[in-house]
Amino acid sequence: MKNAVDVSNILLPLFYLASFAIYLYDFQKDERRLSNVKRLFLFLTLVFHTFYLIARTVAFNHPPITSVFEIFTVLAFSVSFSYFILELVTDIRGTGLFIIIISLIFQTISSFFIIDLTEVKEVLRSNLLGVHVLHALLGYAGITISAVYGFLYLMLYKELKLNKFGLIFERLPNLEILEKLSFYSAIIGFILLSVAIAIGVIWLPQAFPNFSYLDPKLVATFLVWLMYGIGITTKISGKLQGKKVVIFSIVGFGLAIFSTIVTNFLAKSFHAFY
Amino acid sequence: MNLLAISINHHTAPVTLREEVHLSNDEIKSYIDELKEKYFSEGFIISTCNRTELFGIPKEPATSYRELENFLVEKKSIDNLTDDHFQKFFSCSALNHLFKVIAGIDSMLIGDNQIMGQVKESFQLAQEKQFTGFLVNRVIDSAIRVGKRAKTETTISDGAITVSYAAVQLIEKIFSNLSKKSALVIGMGETGKIAAQHLHDKHIGKLSITNRTMEKSEAIVTEIDAQILPFERFKEHLADFDIIISATSSPNLILTKEEIKSMMKKRGNSSTVLMDIALPRDIDPEARSIDSVFYNDIDSLNIIVEHNMKKRKDEIPKVQHIIMEELISFFGWYNSLEVAPTIKSLRDFYEEIRLAEVGGYKNKFTKEDQEKLELVTKRIINKLLHHPTTELRKAAEQGTNTSEAATKIALVRDLFGIENKSNTDV
Repeated sequence: MKNAVDVSNILLPLFYLASFAIYLYDFQKDERRLSNVKRLFLFLTLVFHTFYLIARTVAFNHPPITSVFEIFTVLAFSVSFSYFILELVTDIRGTGLFIIIISLIFQTISSFFIIDLTEVKEVLRSNLLGVHVLHALLGYAGITISAVYGFLYLMLYKELKLNKFGLIFERLPNLEILEKLSFYSAIIGFILLSVAIAIGVIWLPQAFPNFSYLDPKLVATFLVWLMYGIGITTKISGKLQGKKVVIFSIVGFGLAIFSTIVTNFLAKSFHAFY
Repeated sequence: MNLLAISINHHTAPVTLREEVHLSNDEIKSYIDELKEKYFSEGFIISTCNRTELFGIPKEPATSYRELENFLVEKKSIDNLTDDHFQKFFSCSALNHLFKVIAGIDSMLIGDNQIMGQVKESFQLAQEKQFTGFLVNRVIDSAIRVGKRAKTETTISDGAITVSYAAVQLIEKIFSNLSKKSALVIGMGETGKIAAQHLHDKHIGKLSITNRTMEKSEAIVTEIDAQILPFERFKEHLADFDIIISATSSPNLILTKEEIKSMMKKRGNSSTVLMDIALPRDIDPEARSIDSVFYNDIDSLNIIVEHNMKKRKDEIPKVQHIIMEELISFFGWYNSLEVAPTIKSLRDFYEEIRLAEVGGYKNKFTKEDQEKLELVTKRIINKLLHHPTTELRKAAEQGTNTSEAATKIALVRDLFGIENKSNTDV
C-alpha cells in the first residue's frame, strides 16, 4: 500500500498537468472533438486522486489532514472536484484551465513536500474534526473558484472596455454568467465555511483545554467569514453588482489567503497541529 | 452523369443584372413547366438575390448551355445579358458547384446562414412540381447532407459578419439573457432597422425605438413589437435601458458624456451597452471611460467582423474536404449503376441459388442425371434472365447512364438486394 501511495504521489501532479494541458489546448484551438475528452480526463484524474486519498488514509491510519501539505492535496482535489461539478451542472466548459492550474499548483507543492506521518496527535483522529476540515476545505475551494471567476470577469471586462477581441473574448462566457459563477461559488463556499466554523466552535472547547475565542486563527477566520457574509447580503439586496461583486470576492479571497499564512506560519495558534 | 447547370451569380454579373434575372416562386413554377417540356427530364431552379441557376438532366444529349441561356434571356427579356455572364457546369463540376453553393462557400458573405434554407426551398418547389426524379432526388439528398455537415462539422457560419450583427454578438458577451433586458434603438435608417430586427430575433425583453420622423418606421414597429419614444423626449428615459444602439444620420453628437454619466448614476452603475453604429458618430466616444459603460463604434465592430471573416475563410478547406467526400460517395453510388456490373451481379445472384439447390439434391441423382440436372437448371436460369438482361442492355445503349437506364438498374439492384454488394465493390 505504501508503494502505491508513493507512486500515486508522483503521478498525481502529472495527471493534473495533463488535464491542464488538454484544457489549455482546447481553449486555444476550440476543437469540438476535445470537448468531451478533456472532461473525461479530468474525471479520471479525480478518480485517481480519490484512490490516492483513500490509500493514504489506509496506509497511515489517519485522514490526510494533519499537515499543511496533506491539506494541500485535499484542497487540490476539492478545487477540481467542485469545478467538475460546476462544469457538469452549467455545461460551461471554457474556464477549466484557470481552475485546474490551481489544483496543479497545490498538488505539485504537496507531492514535493508531503511527509509520511504514521504517528499523529490523538485529537486529529476525531471524526468530528474530519467533518470540520472537509467542510472548511470545500468552503475554501468555493471561495477560490469564486475568486478565479472574479479574475476572469475582470479580464473580459478589460478586453471589452479596450475593444480587444482576442481569445479571452472568444472563449469565456459572458460577463453576467461569470459574475453569477463567482457569486454562486462564493455562496457555496460561505455556507460550507459557516458549517466548518459552527462545528469548530462546538467541538473546540471539548478538544483543547487551552482554547480561546480570541485565538488569532479564529479571529481571522471569523473576519473572512464576516466579509463574505456582508458581500453576499449586499449583493442579494441589490446594492452591489457587476464589477464590484467580483472585486469583493477577490479581496475576500486575498484576505483568506493572507489570514491563513499569518495564522499558520507567523502567529502562535492552537490550530497548528504540526 | 449528364447533369447540366448554368449560373448567373455575384462572380459573373453586377447586382442590377442579378436583380433582373431574379425569379419569384411563381416564375420558377412556370419556368419548370417549360423546362420539363423542352429541355430537362428532371431538375430544379435556384434563385436568390445573389444567384439564379438552372440544374437539370437533359432530355436530349445534344442540349447545349446556349439553349438554356437563351431560354432565360428570352423569358426575362434582358438584352444586355451575354454568354459571359453565365458560368457553365457539367456532371461532376455541376454537382461540385451545387455543393459549394449549399455549404455557403460560394456566397458573397462566406458561410452565409440563409443559403441552405433558400436552396432547400428550391428543391421543395421542384419536388412539388414533380420535376425531380430518381437522379435529382439523390442529388438533393447529397446536397442537403453537405449543407448540414458544413454547419455541424466546421465553423464556416460562426460569428457575426455584418456590423449590426456584430453589435448584437458583442451585447451577448455582456448580458446572458436578453429577454430580461431593455433596448433603445435611435434612428430608423436601414442600419437601425436591421439592428432592431436582430434584437427582436434575439428575444429582447423590451424594445423601444425613436426617430425624428416615425412615418417610415410604422411597418417595422409592428413587425418587431417595439414601443415608440418621441425623439424630443427619449433622453428622459435613457436610464431605463440596458442597451442603446444609435444609428442616425445626425451631423452632431446626440448623447454627450455628461448625459451618459447622469444616466449611469440613475441606473446605479448597472452595466450599460452603447453601440454607436452611425457615421459621423452619435455618442461621445469619451463615454467609454465611464465605469460599467461598454461603448463601441463602427471601427471596433469592424474588428469583430474582419476577425470572423478571416476565421470563416480559414474553414473553407474543411468544407472542401466534406464536399470531396460527398462527391466520392455520390459517384461511388452512381458508378454502381453501370449496367455490366449489375447484369453480372444479377447472374451471380441466380447462380448462387441454383448451386445451393442443385447441391442439396445432387446425391439423389445418378452421375449421368447430375450432368443433365446441371444443364437443365442452367438453361432455366438463362431463360429467366434473358429478357431482363436484354432490356438492361437496351436501356444502356441509349447513352451512358441515361436517366431511364439508371432507374431500371437501380430497380433491379433494389429488388434483388444487390445494392449493398455493388457499393462495397466500388
